[in-house]
Amino acid sequence: MIALVARESRVVGALGRRALSLQFRRAQLLMPTFVLPLLLLAVIASGTSAGRDLDQFPETSSYLGFVVAGTLLQGALLAGLTAGIAMASDIEGGFFDRLLAAPVHRTSLVLGRLAGTLGLAVLQMAWFLLVALLFGAGYPGGVLGAVGAAVLASLTAVGIGGIAIAIAIRTGSMNLMQSIFPFVFVLLFTAPAFFPRDLLTPTLHDIAAYNPLTYVVEGARGLLQDDSALGDPWLGLLAAVGLAAFSTGLAVLALRDRARRT
Amino acid sequence: MATRSSSSQPAVAVRGLERAFKGGIKAVDGLDLEVPEGEIYGFLGPNGAGKTTTVRILVTLLRPTGGEARVAGHDVVSEADAVRRNIGVALQEAAIDPLMSGVELLRMQGALHGMRGSQARGRATELLERVGLTDAGGRRVGQYSGGMRRRLDLAMALVHRPKVLFLDEPTTGLDPTSRNALWREVRGLNDDGTTVFLTTQYLEEAEQLADRVGIIAGGGLVAEGTPAELKSRVGEPTLHVDLAEGADVPAAREALSAVGPLVDCRDDARVAIRAARGKATVPIAIRALDDAGIAVESVEVVSPTLDDVFAAVTGSTLEGAGDAGAADDEVAGVGA
Repeated sequence: MIALVARESRVVGALGRRALSLQFRRAQLLMPTFVLPLLLLAVIASGTSAGRDLDQFPETSSYLGFVVAGTLLQGALLAGLTAGIAMASDIEGGFFDRLLAAPVHRTSLVLGRLAGTLGLAVLQMAWFLLVALLFGAGYPGGVLGAVGAAVLASLTAVGIGGIAIAIAIRTGSMNLMQSIFPFVFVLLFTAPAFFPRDLLTPTLHDIAAYNPLTYVVEGARGLLQDDSALGDPWLGLLAAVGLAAFSTGLAVLALRDRARRT
Repeated sequence: MATRSSSSQPAVAVRGLERAFKGGIKAVDGLDLEVPEGEIYGFLGPNGAGKTTTVRILVTLLRPTGGEARVAGHDVVSEADAVRRNIGVALQEAAIDPLMSGVELLRMQGALHGMRGSQARGRATELLERVGLTDAGGRRVGQYSGGMRRRLDLAMALVHRPKVLFLDEPTTGLDPTSRNALWREVRGLNDDGTTVFLTTQYLEEAEQLADRVGIIAGGGLVAEGTPAELKSRVGEPTLHVDLAEGADVPAAREALSAVGPLVDCRDDARVAIRAARGKATVPIAIRALDDAGIAVESVEVVSPTLDDVFAAVTGSTLEGAGDAGAADDEVAGVGA
Protein backbone atom coordinates (compact mmCIF):
# COMPACT_ATOMS: atom_id res chain seq x y z
CA MET A 1 0.00 0.00 0.00
CA ILE A 2 2.81 2.40 0.94
CA ALA A 3 4.65 1.49 -2.24
CA LEU A 4 1.52 2.17 -4.27
CA VAL A 5 1.02 5.57 -2.65
CA ALA A 6 4.70 6.42 -3.21
CA ARG A 7 4.46 5.36 -6.83
CA GLU A 8 1.29 7.35 -7.49
CA SER A 9 2.81 10.35 -5.67
CA ARG A 10 5.71 10.26 -8.11
CA VAL A 11 3.21 10.25 -10.97
CA VAL A 12 1.29 13.20 -9.49
CA GLY A 13 4.57 15.04 -8.94
CA ALA A 14 5.78 14.43 -12.49
CA LEU A 15 2.46 15.49 -14.03
CA GLY A 16 2.24 18.51 -11.74
CA ARG A 17 5.75 19.65 -12.70
CA ARG A 18 4.88 19.24 -16.36
CA ALA A 19 1.63 21.20 -16.00
CA LEU A 20 3.37 24.04 -14.20
CA SER A 21 6.38 24.28 -16.49
CA LEU A 22 4.20 24.23 -19.62
CA GLN A 23 2.17 27.10 -18.22
CA PHE A 24 5.28 29.28 -18.48
CA ARG A 25 6.10 28.02 -21.98
CA ARG A 26 2.70 28.99 -23.38
CA ALA A 27 2.74 32.76 -23.68
CA GLN A 28 -0.98 32.77 -24.46
CA LEU A 29 -1.68 31.38 -20.98
CA LEU A 30 0.63 33.73 -19.11
CA MET A 31 -1.26 36.84 -20.19
CA PRO A 32 -4.63 35.86 -18.67
CA THR A 33 -3.17 34.30 -15.55
CA PHE A 34 -0.55 36.86 -14.52
CA VAL A 35 -1.35 40.11 -16.34
CA LEU A 36 -5.11 40.37 -16.92
CA PRO A 37 -6.11 40.34 -13.22
CA LEU A 38 -3.63 43.14 -12.51
CA LEU A 39 -5.02 45.20 -15.38
CA LEU A 40 -8.52 44.80 -13.97
CA LEU A 41 -7.19 45.66 -10.52
CA ALA A 42 -5.68 48.87 -11.91
CA VAL A 43 -8.97 49.80 -13.58
CA ILE A 44 -11.05 49.01 -10.49
CA ALA A 45 -8.66 50.69 -8.05
CA SER A 46 -8.41 53.88 -10.07
CA GLY A 47 -11.94 54.03 -11.44
CA THR A 48 -14.11 53.07 -8.50
CA SER A 49 -12.16 54.24 -5.48
CA ALA A 50 -14.85 56.87 -4.84
CA GLY A 51 -17.05 53.99 -3.71
CA ARG A 52 -15.02 54.01 -0.53
CA ASP A 53 -16.84 57.21 0.47
CA LEU A 54 -20.22 55.45 0.52
CA ASP A 55 -21.74 54.83 3.92
CA GLN A 56 -21.99 51.07 3.43
CA PHE A 57 -18.31 50.79 2.54
CA PRO A 58 -16.38 49.41 5.49
CA GLU A 59 -13.38 51.10 7.04
CA THR A 60 -10.18 49.73 5.52
CA SER A 61 -6.53 50.72 5.61
CA SER A 62 -6.43 51.14 1.81
CA TYR A 63 -8.90 50.72 -1.04
CA LEU A 64 -6.29 48.73 -3.00
CA GLY A 65 -5.87 46.45 -0.02
CA PHE A 66 -9.64 45.86 -0.07
CA VAL A 67 -10.04 45.10 -3.77
CA VAL A 68 -6.91 42.96 -4.14
CA ALA A 69 -8.90 40.07 -2.66
CA GLY A 70 -11.01 40.22 -5.82
CA THR A 71 -7.84 40.03 -7.89
CA LEU A 72 -6.80 36.89 -6.01
CA LEU A 73 -10.19 35.40 -6.80
CA GLN A 74 -9.98 36.36 -10.46
CA GLY A 75 -6.50 34.84 -10.66
CA ALA A 76 -7.84 31.64 -9.10
CA LEU A 77 -10.66 31.45 -11.63
CA LEU A 78 -8.30 31.95 -14.56
CA ALA A 79 -5.73 29.47 -13.23
CA GLY A 80 -8.50 26.90 -12.90
CA LEU A 81 -9.78 27.58 -16.39
CA THR A 82 -6.32 27.18 -17.94
CA ALA A 83 -6.11 23.73 -16.33
CA GLY A 84 -9.15 22.75 -18.37
CA ILE A 85 -7.73 24.31 -21.54
CA ALA A 86 -4.45 22.46 -21.09
CA MET A 87 -6.29 19.19 -20.47
CA ALA A 88 -8.40 19.67 -23.62
CA SER A 89 -5.20 20.45 -25.54
CA ASP A 90 -3.68 17.16 -24.36
CA ILE A 91 -6.81 15.27 -25.38
CA GLU A 92 -7.05 16.91 -28.80
CA GLY A 93 -3.33 16.46 -29.47
CA GLY A 94 -3.32 12.79 -28.45
CA PHE A 95 -0.92 13.24 -25.53
CA PHE A 96 -3.62 12.20 -23.09
CA ASP A 97 -3.71 8.78 -24.78
CA ARG A 98 -0.08 8.35 -23.78
CA LEU A 99 -1.05 8.96 -20.18
CA LEU A 100 -4.03 6.62 -20.39
CA ALA A 101 -1.84 3.86 -21.82
CA ALA A 102 0.45 4.04 -18.77
CA PRO A 103 -0.12 1.85 -15.69
CA VAL A 104 -1.22 4.68 -13.41
CA HIS A 105 -4.34 5.20 -11.34
CA ARG A 106 -6.83 7.41 -13.19
CA THR A 107 -7.20 9.64 -10.13
CA SER A 108 -3.48 10.45 -10.36
CA LEU A 109 -3.98 11.87 -13.85
CA VAL A 110 -6.49 14.35 -12.44
CA LEU A 111 -4.50 15.08 -9.27
CA GLY A 112 -1.32 15.63 -11.31
CA ARG A 113 -3.02 18.28 -13.40
CA LEU A 114 -4.49 19.91 -10.28
CA ALA A 115 -1.10 19.87 -8.55
CA GLY A 116 0.16 22.02 -11.41
CA THR A 117 -2.81 24.34 -10.96
CA LEU A 118 -2.08 24.63 -7.25
CA GLY A 119 1.57 25.49 -7.95
CA LEU A 120 0.53 28.06 -10.53
CA ALA A 121 -1.99 29.63 -8.18
CA VAL A 122 0.55 29.95 -5.35
CA LEU A 123 2.92 31.81 -7.68
CA GLN A 124 0.07 33.97 -9.00
CA MET A 125 -1.14 34.97 -5.54
CA ALA A 126 2.37 35.87 -4.38
CA TRP A 127 2.80 37.97 -7.54
CA PHE A 128 -0.54 39.79 -7.16
CA LEU A 129 -0.03 40.52 -3.46
CA LEU A 130 3.50 41.78 -4.09
CA VAL A 131 2.53 44.05 -7.00
CA ALA A 132 -0.42 45.47 -5.04
CA LEU A 133 1.87 46.04 -2.05
CA LEU A 134 4.33 47.94 -4.25
CA PHE A 135 1.45 50.13 -5.43
CA GLY A 136 0.38 50.98 -1.92
CA ALA A 137 -1.96 48.23 -0.78
CA GLY A 138 -2.04 47.83 2.98
CA TYR A 139 -2.16 44.40 4.63
CA PRO A 140 -2.92 44.89 8.31
CA GLY A 141 -3.19 41.13 8.60
CA GLY A 142 0.55 40.94 7.95
CA VAL A 143 2.42 38.08 6.36
CA LEU A 144 0.20 35.47 8.00
CA GLY A 145 -2.92 37.18 6.68
CA ALA A 146 -1.43 37.36 3.18
CA VAL A 147 -0.40 33.70 3.28
CA GLY A 148 -3.86 32.74 4.52
CA ALA A 149 -5.53 34.70 1.71
CA ALA A 150 -3.19 33.11 -0.84
CA VAL A 151 -4.04 29.64 0.49
CA LEU A 152 -7.78 30.31 0.19
CA ALA A 153 -7.41 31.59 -3.37
CA SER A 154 -5.08 28.74 -4.38
CA LEU A 155 -7.52 26.13 -3.08
CA THR A 156 -10.23 27.90 -5.05
CA ALA A 157 -8.07 27.64 -8.18
CA VAL A 158 -7.96 23.87 -7.59
CA GLY A 159 -11.74 23.87 -7.18
CA ILE A 160 -12.35 25.73 -10.41
CA GLY A 161 -9.64 23.62 -12.09
CA GLY A 162 -11.49 20.44 -11.19
CA ILE A 163 -14.68 21.72 -12.81
CA ALA A 164 -12.77 22.86 -15.92
CA ILE A 165 -10.98 19.51 -16.17
CA ALA A 166 -14.28 17.65 -15.86
CA ILE A 167 -15.70 19.70 -18.75
CA ALA A 168 -12.52 19.15 -20.79
CA ILE A 169 -12.66 15.38 -20.23
CA ARG A 170 -16.33 15.24 -21.20
CA THR A 171 -15.98 17.39 -24.32
CA GLY A 172 -12.32 17.00 -25.33
CA SER A 173 -12.65 20.37 -27.04
CA MET A 174 -10.20 23.20 -26.60
CA ASN A 175 -12.49 25.60 -28.47
CA LEU A 176 -15.28 24.91 -26.01
CA MET A 177 -12.95 25.44 -23.06
CA GLN A 178 -11.85 28.78 -24.45
CA SER A 179 -15.46 29.80 -24.99
CA ILE A 180 -16.08 29.31 -21.25
CA PHE A 181 -13.73 32.23 -20.55
CA PRO A 182 -16.50 34.89 -20.21
CA PHE A 183 -18.19 32.82 -17.49
CA VAL A 184 -15.20 33.58 -15.30
CA PHE A 185 -16.45 37.15 -15.11
CA VAL A 186 -20.00 36.02 -14.38
CA LEU A 187 -18.73 34.05 -11.38
CA LEU A 188 -16.50 36.93 -10.36
CA PHE A 189 -19.20 39.57 -10.43
CA THR A 190 -21.82 37.42 -8.76
CA ALA A 191 -19.52 37.42 -5.75
CA PRO A 192 -18.56 40.59 -3.85
CA ALA A 193 -15.13 40.54 -5.48
CA PHE A 194 -14.50 44.27 -5.60
CA PHE A 195 -17.35 45.72 -3.52
CA PRO A 196 -18.83 44.84 -0.15
CA ARG A 197 -21.86 42.59 -0.34
CA ASP A 198 -24.04 45.34 1.10
CA LEU A 199 -23.35 47.51 -1.94
CA LEU A 200 -24.61 44.92 -4.41
CA THR A 201 -28.13 45.21 -5.84
CA PRO A 202 -30.70 43.15 -3.94
CA THR A 203 -30.83 40.50 -6.66
CA LEU A 204 -27.08 40.20 -6.89
CA HIS A 205 -26.88 40.24 -3.10
CA ASP A 206 -29.17 37.21 -2.98
CA ILE A 207 -27.25 35.38 -5.72
CA ALA A 208 -23.96 36.08 -3.97
CA ALA A 209 -25.20 34.25 -0.89
CA TYR A 210 -25.33 31.06 -2.97
CA ASN A 211 -21.96 31.59 -4.67
CA PRO A 212 -19.23 29.79 -2.70
CA LEU A 213 -16.71 32.25 -4.09
CA THR A 214 -18.39 34.94 -1.98
CA TYR A 215 -17.13 33.28 1.19
CA VAL A 216 -13.66 32.77 -0.27
CA VAL A 217 -13.20 36.41 -1.27
CA GLU A 218 -14.69 37.71 1.97
CA GLY A 219 -12.53 35.32 3.99
CA ALA A 220 -9.41 36.42 2.10
CA ARG A 221 -10.36 40.05 2.65
CA GLY A 222 -10.88 39.44 6.34
CA LEU A 223 -7.41 37.88 6.56
CA LEU A 224 -5.67 40.60 4.57
CA GLN A 225 -7.36 43.41 6.50
CA ASP A 226 -7.27 41.56 9.82
CA ASP A 227 -10.96 42.31 10.22
CA SER A 228 -13.37 39.44 10.74
CA ALA A 229 -16.26 41.80 10.02
CA LEU A 230 -15.16 41.80 6.37
CA GLY A 231 -15.33 38.03 6.14
CA ASP A 232 -14.93 34.83 8.11
CA PRO A 233 -11.70 33.05 7.09
CA TRP A 234 -12.95 29.69 8.35
CA LEU A 235 -16.10 29.98 6.28
CA GLY A 236 -13.87 30.87 3.33
CA LEU A 237 -11.69 27.83 4.00
CA LEU A 238 -14.73 25.60 4.21
CA ALA A 239 -16.02 26.94 0.88
CA ALA A 240 -12.63 26.58 -0.82
CA VAL A 241 -11.94 23.06 0.48
CA GLY A 242 -15.51 21.98 -0.24
CA LEU A 243 -15.32 23.28 -3.80
CA ALA A 244 -11.91 21.64 -4.36
CA ALA A 245 -13.09 18.28 -3.01
CA PHE A 246 -16.36 18.38 -4.95
CA SER A 247 -14.79 19.37 -8.27
CA THR A 248 -11.91 16.89 -7.95
CA GLY A 249 -14.47 14.16 -7.46
CA LEU A 250 -16.36 15.48 -10.47
CA ALA A 251 -13.24 15.33 -12.65
CA VAL A 252 -12.36 11.79 -11.51
CA LEU A 253 -15.91 10.66 -12.25
CA ALA A 254 -15.76 12.29 -15.69
CA LEU A 255 -12.56 10.38 -16.43
CA ARG A 256 -14.01 7.08 -15.27
CA ASP A 257 -17.13 7.70 -17.31
CA ARG A 258 -15.02 8.47 -20.37
CA ALA A 259 -13.12 5.22 -19.90
CA ARG A 260 -16.41 3.33 -19.62
CA ARG A 261 -17.84 4.97 -22.73
CA THR A 262 -14.80 4.17 -24.84
CA MET B 1 9.01 -2.47 -15.13
CA ALA B 2 7.39 -5.02 -17.38
CA THR B 3 6.48 -8.30 -15.78
CA ARG B 4 7.23 -11.42 -17.80
CA SER B 5 4.42 -13.91 -18.12
CA SER B 6 4.76 -17.55 -19.03
CA SER B 7 6.56 -18.02 -22.33
CA SER B 8 3.97 -20.62 -23.41
CA GLN B 9 1.39 -17.86 -23.81
CA PRO B 10 1.17 -15.91 -27.02
CA ALA B 11 2.15 -12.25 -26.80
CA VAL B 12 -1.16 -11.28 -28.39
CA ALA B 13 -4.25 -13.48 -28.59
CA VAL B 14 -7.49 -12.18 -30.09
CA ARG B 15 -10.71 -14.18 -30.39
CA GLY B 16 -13.85 -12.94 -32.15
CA LEU B 17 -12.97 -9.34 -31.38
CA GLU B 18 -15.63 -6.78 -32.22
CA ARG B 19 -15.92 -3.05 -31.89
CA ALA B 20 -19.04 -1.22 -32.99
CA PHE B 21 -19.48 2.54 -32.94
CA LYS B 22 -22.55 4.76 -32.94
CA GLY B 23 -24.85 3.95 -35.81
CA GLY B 24 -23.82 0.32 -35.70
CA ILE B 25 -20.64 0.82 -37.72
CA LYS B 26 -18.38 -2.14 -37.00
CA ALA B 27 -14.74 -1.11 -37.23
CA VAL B 28 -13.62 -4.55 -36.06
CA ASP B 29 -15.84 -7.49 -36.81
CA GLY B 30 -15.00 -10.94 -35.48
CA LEU B 31 -11.22 -10.63 -35.61
CA ASP B 32 -9.09 -13.64 -34.68
CA LEU B 33 -5.33 -13.55 -34.51
CA GLU B 34 -2.42 -14.81 -32.46
CA VAL B 35 1.10 -13.46 -32.22
CA PRO B 36 3.73 -15.65 -30.54
CA GLU B 37 6.38 -14.10 -28.32
CA GLY B 38 9.42 -12.75 -30.13
CA GLU B 39 7.71 -12.20 -33.45
CA ILE B 40 7.34 -9.08 -35.57
CA TYR B 41 3.74 -9.16 -36.71
CA GLY B 42 2.78 -6.89 -39.57
CA PHE B 43 -0.85 -5.79 -39.50
CA LEU B 44 -1.53 -4.65 -43.02
CA GLY B 45 -4.54 -2.87 -44.39
CA PRO B 46 -5.81 0.37 -45.89
CA ASN B 47 -7.16 3.31 -43.91
CA GLY B 48 -10.49 2.44 -42.34
CA ALA B 49 -9.82 -1.31 -42.37
CA GLY B 50 -9.85 -1.50 -38.58
CA LYS B 51 -6.11 -1.49 -37.84
CA THR B 52 -6.07 1.48 -35.52
CA THR B 53 -9.24 0.40 -33.73
CA THR B 54 -7.70 -3.03 -33.13
CA VAL B 55 -4.48 -1.51 -31.78
CA ARG B 56 -6.39 0.89 -29.54
CA ILE B 57 -8.26 -2.07 -28.07
CA LEU B 58 -5.04 -4.03 -27.57
CA VAL B 59 -3.36 -1.13 -25.76
CA THR B 60 -6.44 -0.64 -23.52
CA LEU B 61 -7.47 2.74 -24.95
CA LEU B 62 -10.73 1.37 -26.30
CA ARG B 63 -13.06 -1.32 -24.99
CA PRO B 64 -14.20 -4.09 -27.30
CA THR B 65 -17.94 -4.53 -27.76
CA GLY B 66 -17.51 -8.26 -28.33
CA GLY B 67 -14.98 -11.07 -28.20
CA GLU B 68 -11.80 -11.06 -26.14
CA ALA B 69 -8.22 -9.98 -26.40
CA ARG B 70 -5.22 -10.87 -24.25
CA VAL B 71 -1.85 -9.16 -24.38
CA ALA B 72 1.18 -10.61 -22.58
CA GLY B 73 -1.19 -13.12 -21.03
CA HIS B 74 -3.56 -10.50 -19.58
CA ASP B 75 -7.11 -9.60 -20.56
CA VAL B 76 -7.28 -6.08 -22.01
CA VAL B 77 -10.50 -5.27 -20.14
CA SER B 78 -10.34 -7.00 -16.77
CA GLU B 79 -6.54 -6.79 -16.39
CA ALA B 80 -5.94 -3.52 -18.20
CA ASP B 81 -3.32 -2.31 -15.70
CA ALA B 82 -1.26 -5.49 -16.10
CA VAL B 83 -1.46 -5.10 -19.88
CA ARG B 84 -0.24 -1.48 -19.59
CA ARG B 85 2.76 -2.59 -17.51
CA ASN B 86 3.84 -4.99 -20.24
CA ILE B 87 3.37 -2.93 -23.37
CA GLY B 88 5.08 -0.05 -25.09
CA VAL B 89 2.95 2.09 -27.35
CA ALA B 90 3.85 4.43 -30.19
CA LEU B 91 0.60 5.58 -31.72
CA GLN B 92 0.01 7.27 -35.07
CA GLU B 93 1.25 10.83 -35.53
CA ALA B 94 3.66 10.64 -32.57
CA ALA B 95 1.55 12.60 -30.05
CA ILE B 96 4.43 14.28 -28.26
CA ASP B 97 4.16 17.60 -26.47
CA PRO B 98 6.19 20.03 -28.61
CA LEU B 99 6.90 22.31 -25.66
CA MET B 100 8.79 19.63 -23.73
CA SER B 101 12.32 18.45 -24.37
CA GLY B 102 13.24 14.87 -25.20
CA VAL B 103 14.85 14.38 -21.79
CA GLU B 104 11.81 15.78 -19.97
CA LEU B 105 9.44 13.51 -21.86
CA LEU B 106 11.52 10.41 -21.21
CA ARG B 107 11.85 11.22 -17.52
CA MET B 108 8.12 11.83 -17.26
CA GLN B 109 7.45 8.53 -19.03
CA GLY B 110 9.78 6.86 -16.51
CA ALA B 111 7.79 8.36 -13.63
CA LEU B 112 4.55 7.10 -15.21
CA HIS B 113 6.06 3.62 -15.07
CA GLY B 114 7.03 3.97 -11.44
CA MET B 115 10.70 4.87 -11.81
CA ARG B 116 12.43 7.05 -9.25
CA GLY B 117 14.13 10.25 -10.38
CA SER B 118 17.69 8.94 -10.73
CA GLN B 119 16.50 5.74 -12.37
CA ALA B 120 14.40 7.67 -14.90
CA ARG B 121 17.29 10.05 -15.61
CA GLY B 122 19.67 7.16 -16.29
CA ARG B 123 17.19 5.39 -18.53
CA ALA B 124 16.51 8.61 -20.46
CA THR B 125 20.22 9.06 -21.17
CA GLU B 126 20.53 5.44 -22.26
CA LEU B 127 17.54 5.62 -24.61
CA LEU B 128 18.50 8.94 -26.16
CA GLU B 129 21.83 7.37 -27.04
CA ARG B 130 20.13 4.29 -28.44
CA VAL B 131 17.90 6.28 -30.81
CA GLY B 132 20.65 8.75 -31.72
CA LEU B 133 19.15 11.79 -30.02
CA THR B 134 21.75 12.47 -27.32
CA ASP B 135 22.67 15.87 -28.72
CA ALA B 136 19.03 16.88 -29.26
CA GLY B 137 17.77 15.58 -25.91
CA GLY B 138 17.71 18.98 -24.25
CA ARG B 139 15.91 20.68 -27.12
CA ARG B 140 12.16 21.14 -27.26
CA VAL B 141 10.44 18.53 -29.41
CA GLY B 142 8.81 21.27 -31.48
CA GLN B 143 12.24 21.79 -33.05
CA TYR B 144 12.63 18.11 -34.00
CA SER B 145 12.21 16.76 -37.52
CA GLY B 146 9.52 14.14 -38.21
CA GLY B 147 12.10 11.35 -38.05
CA MET B 148 13.51 12.59 -34.74
CA ARG B 149 10.02 12.76 -33.25
CA ARG B 150 9.32 9.18 -34.31
CA ARG B 151 12.58 7.99 -32.79
CA LEU B 152 11.79 9.81 -29.56
CA ASP B 153 8.31 8.30 -29.60
CA LEU B 154 9.91 4.88 -29.94
CA ALA B 155 12.31 5.63 -27.08
CA MET B 156 9.38 6.67 -24.88
CA ALA B 157 7.65 3.40 -25.64
CA LEU B 158 10.78 1.54 -24.49
CA VAL B 159 11.39 3.30 -21.16
CA HIS B 160 10.10 0.40 -19.04
CA ARG B 161 11.51 -2.36 -21.27
CA PRO B 162 8.11 -3.60 -22.50
CA LYS B 163 7.46 -7.16 -23.46
CA VAL B 164 5.21 -6.26 -26.39
CA LEU B 165 5.71 -3.14 -28.49
CA PHE B 166 2.82 -1.67 -30.49
CA LEU B 167 3.81 0.56 -33.37
CA ASP B 168 0.91 2.16 -35.22
CA GLU B 169 2.09 3.22 -38.68
CA PRO B 170 5.48 4.28 -37.32
CA THR B 171 6.99 5.49 -40.58
CA THR B 172 4.05 7.32 -42.16
CA GLY B 173 5.33 10.58 -43.58
CA LEU B 174 9.02 9.80 -43.03
CA ASP B 175 11.72 10.17 -45.67
CA PRO B 176 13.50 6.96 -46.79
CA THR B 177 16.57 7.60 -44.61
CA SER B 178 14.51 8.10 -41.45
CA ARG B 179 12.36 5.11 -42.37
CA ASN B 180 15.40 2.86 -42.76
CA ALA B 181 16.81 4.06 -39.43
CA LEU B 182 13.55 3.24 -37.68
CA TRP B 183 13.39 -0.19 -39.34
CA ARG B 184 16.91 -0.94 -38.10
CA GLU B 185 15.88 0.03 -34.59
CA VAL B 186 12.76 -2.16 -34.70
CA ARG B 187 14.81 -5.13 -35.92
CA GLY B 188 17.32 -4.53 -33.13
CA LEU B 189 14.56 -4.49 -30.52
CA ASN B 190 13.14 -7.71 -31.89
CA ASP B 191 16.61 -9.28 -31.77
CA ASP B 192 16.63 -8.37 -28.07
CA GLY B 193 13.44 -10.42 -27.61
CA THR B 194 10.71 -7.78 -27.86
CA THR B 195 7.54 -8.83 -29.64
CA VAL B 196 6.52 -6.15 -32.13
CA PHE B 197 2.97 -5.59 -33.33
CA LEU B 198 3.29 -3.26 -36.27
CA THR B 199 0.45 -1.72 -38.23
CA THR B 200 1.26 -0.33 -41.62
CA GLN B 201 -0.21 0.48 -44.98
CA TYR B 202 3.20 0.21 -46.62
CA LEU B 203 3.75 -3.12 -48.35
CA GLU B 204 7.50 -2.67 -48.33
CA GLU B 205 7.49 -2.10 -44.58
CA ALA B 206 5.55 -5.27 -43.93
CA GLU B 207 7.78 -7.22 -46.29
CA GLN B 208 11.01 -5.83 -44.84
CA LEU B 209 10.16 -6.16 -41.16
CA ALA B 210 7.44 -8.67 -40.47
CA ASP B 211 7.96 -12.35 -39.71
CA ARG B 212 4.27 -12.80 -40.39
CA VAL B 213 1.67 -10.56 -41.96
CA GLY B 214 -2.03 -10.32 -41.25
CA ILE B 215 -4.18 -8.54 -43.81
CA ILE B 216 -7.25 -6.82 -42.41
CA ALA B 217 -10.12 -5.58 -44.51
CA GLY B 218 -13.62 -4.62 -43.45
CA GLY B 219 -12.75 -5.23 -39.81
CA GLY B 220 -11.71 -8.86 -40.22
CA LEU B 221 -8.57 -10.81 -41.02
CA VAL B 222 -8.69 -11.93 -44.66
CA ALA B 223 -5.24 -13.53 -44.94
CA GLU B 224 -2.32 -14.35 -42.67
CA GLY B 225 1.12 -15.92 -43.06
CA THR B 226 4.75 -15.14 -43.78
CA PRO B 227 5.23 -12.79 -46.72
CA ALA B 228 6.57 -15.73 -48.76
CA GLU B 229 3.61 -17.94 -47.85
CA LEU B 230 1.10 -15.28 -48.73
CA LYS B 231 2.73 -14.61 -52.08
CA SER B 232 2.93 -18.28 -52.88
CA ARG B 233 -0.83 -18.55 -52.34
CA VAL B 234 -1.43 -16.04 -55.10
CA GLY B 235 0.64 -17.89 -57.64
CA GLU B 236 4.08 -18.90 -58.83
CA PRO B 237 6.68 -16.48 -60.14
CA THR B 238 6.54 -15.78 -63.88
CA LEU B 239 9.48 -15.76 -66.27
CA HIS B 240 9.22 -13.02 -68.89
CA VAL B 241 11.42 -13.28 -71.97
CA ASP B 242 11.78 -10.30 -74.32
CA LEU B 243 12.83 -11.61 -77.73
CA ALA B 244 15.31 -9.89 -80.02
CA GLU B 245 13.87 -8.05 -83.03
CA GLY B 246 12.82 -10.45 -85.79
CA ALA B 247 12.90 -13.52 -83.56
CA ASP B 248 10.55 -16.38 -84.36
CA VAL B 249 7.87 -15.95 -81.69
CA PRO B 250 5.96 -19.24 -82.29
CA ALA B 251 9.26 -21.17 -82.13
CA ALA B 252 10.16 -19.38 -78.90
CA ARG B 253 6.77 -20.24 -77.41
CA GLU B 254 7.25 -23.87 -78.39
CA ALA B 255 10.77 -24.00 -76.89
CA LEU B 256 9.68 -22.36 -73.61
CA SER B 257 6.55 -24.50 -73.27
CA ALA B 258 8.89 -27.39 -72.57
CA VAL B 259 10.30 -25.47 -69.58
CA GLY B 260 7.03 -24.36 -68.03
CA PRO B 261 3.34 -23.68 -68.75
CA LEU B 262 2.85 -20.68 -71.01
CA VAL B 263 1.22 -17.55 -69.63
CA ASP B 264 -0.83 -15.16 -71.76
CA CYS B 265 1.21 -12.16 -72.74
CA ARG B 266 -0.08 -8.97 -74.36
CA ASP B 267 3.25 -7.97 -75.87
CA ASP B 268 3.90 -9.80 -79.20
CA ALA B 269 7.66 -9.71 -78.66
CA ARG B 270 7.45 -11.22 -75.20
CA VAL B 271 6.84 -14.78 -74.06
CA ALA B 272 6.00 -15.69 -70.48
CA ILE B 273 5.92 -18.99 -68.60
CA ARG B 274 5.23 -20.06 -65.03
CA ALA B 275 8.52 -20.36 -63.12
CA ALA B 276 7.85 -22.60 -60.14
CA ARG B 277 11.57 -22.71 -59.34
CA GLY B 278 11.95 -18.95 -59.53
CA LYS B 279 15.33 -17.68 -60.72
CA ALA B 280 16.58 -21.24 -61.18
CA THR B 281 14.34 -21.38 -64.25
CA VAL B 282 16.38 -18.68 -66.05
CA PRO B 283 19.38 -20.80 -67.24
CA ILE B 284 17.05 -23.63 -68.32
CA ALA B 285 14.92 -21.24 -70.37
CA ILE B 286 17.98 -19.56 -71.92
CA ARG B 287 19.44 -22.96 -72.89
CA ALA B 288 16.12 -24.04 -74.47
CA LEU B 289 15.90 -20.82 -76.51
CA ASP B 290 19.57 -21.06 -77.49
CA ASP B 291 19.08 -24.65 -78.66
CA ALA B 292 16.14 -23.43 -80.80
CA GLY B 293 18.34 -20.68 -82.26
CA ILE B 294 16.24 -17.84 -80.86
CA ALA B 295 17.92 -14.57 -79.86
CA VAL B 296 16.91 -13.06 -76.54
CA GLU B 297 17.04 -9.40 -75.50
CA SER B 298 16.26 -9.70 -71.79
CA VAL B 299 14.91 -12.10 -69.18
CA GLU B 300 13.06 -11.23 -65.98
CA VAL B 301 11.52 -13.28 -63.15
CA VAL B 302 8.49 -11.53 -61.66
CA SER B 303 7.27 -12.74 -58.26
CA PRO B 304 3.82 -11.95 -56.82
CA THR B 305 3.86 -9.00 -54.41
CA LEU B 306 1.92 -8.42 -51.23
CA ASP B 307 -0.16 -6.03 -53.27
CA ASP B 308 -1.09 -8.98 -55.50
CA VAL B 309 -1.97 -10.89 -52.35
CA PHE B 310 -4.08 -8.00 -51.11
CA ALA B 311 -5.83 -7.73 -54.47
CA ALA B 312 -6.50 -11.48 -54.49
CA VAL B 313 -8.01 -11.58 -51.00
CA THR B 314 -9.91 -8.31 -51.01
CA GLY B 315 -10.60 -7.66 -54.69
CA SER B 316 -8.86 -4.27 -54.64
CA THR B 317 -5.30 -3.00 -54.50
CA LEU B 318 -3.97 -1.69 -51.21
CA GLU B 319 -3.20 1.77 -52.55
CA GLY B 320 -6.59 2.02 -54.21
CA ALA B 321 -8.44 1.01 -51.09
CA GLY B 322 -7.05 3.83 -48.99
CA ASP B 323 -10.30 5.70 -48.51
CA ALA B 324 -12.49 2.66 -48.29
CA GLY B 325 -13.98 3.09 -44.85
CA ALA B 326 -14.73 5.62 -42.20
CA ALA B 327 -14.59 3.33 -39.20
CA ASP B 328 -11.18 4.48 -37.99
CA ASP B 329 -12.19 8.09 -38.45
CA GLU B 330 -14.96 7.29 -36.01
CA VAL B 331 -12.31 6.22 -33.50
CA ALA B 332 -10.61 9.59 -33.70
CA GLY B 333 -13.91 11.21 -32.83
CA VAL B 334 -14.44 9.00 -29.83
CA GLY B 335 -11.02 9.67 -28.33
CA ALA B 336 -9.61 7.85 -25.38
